[in-house]
Amino acid sequence: MLKIDNLHASVEGQDILNGLSLSVKPGEVHAIMGPNGSGKSTLGHVLAGRPGYTVTAGTVEFLGQDLLALDTEERARLGLFLAFQYPVEIPGVSNMEFMKAAVDAMRTQRGEEPLDAVSFMKLARETSKAVDLDPGFLKRGVNEGFSGGEKKRNELMQMMLLQPRLAIMDETDSGLDIDALQVVARGVNAMRSAQRSFVLVTHYQRLLNYIEPDHVHVLAGGRIARSGDKSLALELEAKGYAWLENEVA
Amino acid sequence: MFEFMQQSLDSAAQRAPAWLQDWLRDGRDRWEASTMPTRKTENWKYTSVQALREHFAPAAAGARLLRESDIDLPQLVGSRQVFINGHHSARLSDSELPDGVSLVRFGEASTAQAAHIRQYLGSAAGEAGTLFTALNDASLAEGVFVEIAAGHRVAQPLHLVWLTTNQGEAFSVNQRLLVLCGSDSSCAVVEQFAGVRDANKAFTNGVSELLLARGATLEHYRLHQEEGSDLHVGGVYARLAEQSTFNSFHLGLGSELKRIDVVVEHCGQGAHSEVNGVYLPRGSEHIDYHTCIEHRVPDCTSSETFRGIIADEARAVFNGRIHIHRDAQKTRAELSNKNLLTSTRAEVNTKPELEIYADDVQCAHGATVAQLNENALHYLRTRGVSRTEAQSMLSFGFINEVIDTVRNAALRDYLRAMLARRFARDPALTRPTA
Amino acid sequence: MSQAHIDSAIKKEYSAGFISAIESDTLPPGLDENVIRFISARKNEPQWLLDWRLEAYRGWLEMSEPTWAHVHYPPIDLQAISYYSSPKSIEDGPKSLEEVDPELLATYEKLGIPLHEQEMLAGVAVDAVFDSVSVATTFRAKLAEAGVIFCPISEAVREYPELVRKHLGTVVPRKDNYYAALNSAVFSDGSFVYIPRGVRCPMELSTYFRINEAKTGQFERTLIVADEGSHVSYLEGCTAPMRDENQLHAAVVELVALDGAQIKYSTVQNWYPGDAEGKGGIYNFVTKRGMAHRDAKISWTQVETGSAITWKYPSCILRGDNSVGEFYSVALTNNYQQADTGTKMIHLGKNTRSTIISKGISAGHSSNAYRGLVRMNPKADGARNYTQCDSLLIGDRCAAHTFPYIESRNPSAVIEHEATTSKVSDDQLYLCQQRGLDAEKAVSMIVNGFCKEVFKELPMEFAVEAGKLLEVSLEGSVG
Repeated sequence: MLKIDNLHASVEGQDILNGLSLSVKPGEVHAIMGPNGSGKSTLGHVLAGRPGYTVTAGTVEFLGQDLLALDTEERARLGLFLAFQYPVEIPGVSNMEFMKAAVDAMRTQRGEEPLDAVSFMKLARETSKAVDLDPGFLKRGVNEGFSGGEKKRNELMQMMLLQPRLAIMDETDSGLDIDALQVVARGVNAMRSAQRSFVLVTHYQRLLNYIEPDHVHVLAGGRIARSGDKSLALELEAKGYAWLENEVA
Repeated sequence: MFEFMQQSLDSAAQRAPAWLQDWLRDGRDRWEASTMPTRKTENWKYTSVQALREHFAPAAAGARLLRESDIDLPQLVGSRQVFINGHHSARLSDSELPDGVSLVRFGEASTAQAAHIRQYLGSAAGEAGTLFTALNDASLAEGVFVEIAAGHRVAQPLHLVWLTTNQGEAFSVNQRLLVLCGSDSSCAVVEQFAGVRDANKAFTNGVSELLLARGATLEHYRLHQEEGSDLHVGGVYARLAEQSTFNSFHLGLGSELKRIDVVVEHCGQGAHSEVNGVYLPRGSEHIDYHTCIEHRVPDCTSSETFRGIIADEARAVFNGRIHIHRDAQKTRAELSNKNLLTSTRAEVNTKPELEIYADDVQCAHGATVAQLNENALHYLRTRGVSRTEAQSMLSFGFINEVIDTVRNAALRDYLRAMLARRFARDPALTRPTA
Repeated sequence: MSQAHIDSAIKKEYSAGFISAIESDTLPPGLDENVIRFISARKNEPQWLLDWRLEAYRGWLEMSEPTWAHVHYPPIDLQAISYYSSPKSIEDGPKSLEEVDPELLATYEKLGIPLHEQEMLAGVAVDAVFDSVSVATTFRAKLAEAGVIFCPISEAVREYPELVRKHLGTVVPRKDNYYAALNSAVFSDGSFVYIPRGVRCPMELSTYFRINEAKTGQFERTLIVADEGSHVSYLEGCTAPMRDENQLHAAVVELVALDGAQIKYSTVQNWYPGDAEGKGGIYNFVTKRGMAHRDAKISWTQVETGSAITWKYPSCILRGDNSVGEFYSVALTNNYQQADTGTKMIHLGKNTRSTIISKGISAGHSSNAYRGLVRMNPKADGARNYTQCDSLLIGDRCAAHTFPYIESRNPSAVIEHEATTSKVSDDQLYLCQQRGLDAEKAVSMIVNGFCKEVFKELPMEFAVEAGKLLEVSLEGSVG
């Protein structure tokens, strides 16, 4: 599915990723944890192709293709989804219009006909209900005036509509109350399949109580400092990141 | 003054009813006493009236549409009146009017109606008007007087359409609308200007006077869809009595020259106005909105939002003045003007102005000239939307935010669809071109 | 606060208003070519400069007074003004401070401008312009060591003719506008600064201007040239004595920042604003402009509290790629003062940046306008401007205006302009008063806070002075 090899990346001239390697197989759920500034969010943005994030060395292979050679939208159409930590507000562009354009682009990529407006609207309504988001949100500007939790649920709804092969959840749990967290977990768990993989970027172990990861990695200094199973997350929770940083140092 | 107008003015004087003759003469005196604006005239700094140096004949009566399908009009449930090249078309107009609305064409006014019209004519545009208002006065042969009876809440909009068609030679149209909203009445008036085809070489001078009595509510739309060589220099002059509410929306598609003055005078305490608009010039078009919000009395509020996308070699001018008079305390006024340039040859000149003579007020204005938001562009692309489509969506969204303020749902849908088609057809409106 | 309280406090005297009794060598009023020849001859100017002046004069004759500013005043009779006035005791030229007329020195002392270099403003070199002729310059030796030239422009014309001739009028052309043309024709004196390549000027340079003679217009001309990679900070303070008549001041300041150079020009203007009835005061019609070449930076900071009428727009032409222009302004008007001030940022080069922060405070019956221009030319790819204009009104008989002209012809340029107008809020006042401050102190504190963004751009000594100036200028305006 995803094979990252010795990835180095910088933002505004500052090196953030320093030789990160990671391999994700179909159906796996990986959790990436780490202290603030360890490069967790950068990884997601580099994979999604955010302008200003420069890859200085390394390779990323996604579904057999050289991911880094693709444009942002080509990566998305190939099945890479990034749930933003801070979803962008786009006043004037309705959520519905936005998601229709995105779903149509996906379907065209797969050689399918675009959905007619009525079918899409039905699908969108159902999906919004599945993430506990009032369908009224579909008519509003993208994330415009949404609360933190509503934005996260909107991200989840987009993921469900786009049916990606690999979803990177960038601190989707941050700022969520326990109810919203469960909605997110339910959504992700419902989407887990042998063909779909997840990378959960998170600061806290809490999310992993609800979404059980196959692998847990700890990021420090821009590379993976340690990998393990879910017990690693519990160990981190108990000992804090300082323990690990000392060990790495 | 221009020679070309003489013929037009003579012709208007012949057509005008007797009760307007002195009005025309007075207008003509003022027009002839004025000097044409130049680049050094502050209010015309960025707009040249060179395009008016054509030989404009008076518009001929009886012009026919080639095909009715030539016109793209919103299907509004309400009453529609259509004028072709300044002349009323009974064929295209509704004969029924909503309850509580009376409409009189100047040419058909009875003596009593004429006296009633004269009582109000010029009361909003008189002092605030430009030299082109004087020209309008001097050419006033056909005008429309609309009155909403006090206390009537009129649900259906009144739709006034001024169409221009090709007459083979350049011609001018003077349009005048006088709306009197009785106290505690409410209604919606849609003014739509459109050319049936390009290259009509029509010069329209449209002046609207909107008078809101105490507690009245007026929803007002002025849609300028003339394109190509159609010229329009005109204005909207509104006067708001106490506790009245004025909601106004402007659409400006470009043409060779368009200059619209909007003056909203808050004359009674507790009046509120909202003036919004979008302008979308492209090609070598020129569009100029000069707005002036006058706060003459305390306790009024106003808000104004104009946005524009300027493509190709087009030029847009926006001047938004907020004028708070002495003792107009507790005024709250705000204005926002945002612009997108999509070409290296496009140009925008914007000047939001504050002129304030009272201290207990809250006023703010902002103006930007910027590009599409890179973060938003990226966000859309991470969902698989192509760069081009994302640009198109964001550009449309930029305008759509203002369209969202249109209160009439049928009109909003019409505008949205019409603009979406335009954006789809013309990539220059959505993304940078060389 | 009561009206009586306001009225009594408004009657504050102009603390810098006194007249020195120094004998002057003053030309009778009037302007013609002979006057210009006289000025030029008195200064032993070379022929080219006389020709330059005459050319400006002839251009000026063709021009008319600008009327677009939001200021009102009776016509100025330029023939009633004397165009040359030099303190007599200077005729033989003072060789050192000891030779300077003691009364002149005392005048400076009263103004708080210390000429004695060891005193108070250590580290500040002062080229004092007393009316029209520079009378003393300090720190010359130390500056010379660094290769910095800082002298009266009349001297520079003689000593460094090539430098002056090369740059004079290149930023503000002779016929730029009515008052600049007049200045070019009759300029009396002013400062000249040259910072050699790569040199960081070892101290802040400072000039204090003062208009002393009755009915003498003052027409200084300042030229600052910062050669490649050099840095200089220049301070200008202005005061004038109290008189009933209005006096005209039409100065020109030209800044040239060559590649990579930085010029910081700070002004504290406290000229006589006229009395509480609006009688007298200075007409301050000034043209200030800087040219920034590649990677250069020009920063204007001004605190304008004086003058009956202020008409000035310190501007930047951002010609070179990556050049930066800044304008930080506090303009305070009280009583019947009128100000129409702001800046122009002309973006010509790629990735040029400009910032405009303007704080206008109006009190009494005064009128205070910001007028600015931001222009993005077609080649200014990636250029940016940010403008913030805030106005504060104190009392219900004053006026505050904002006239920003924004012109863009480049799709990649970004311009953001914001403006607000408000009064000192009752809540703010209430809070301060509840904490034991009297209303006047509270307002002064709030106004100082309002101006903070600008004050922090001023050199330390000026910042303190500016704060005090505001307090003094605001006295009694609280309502």
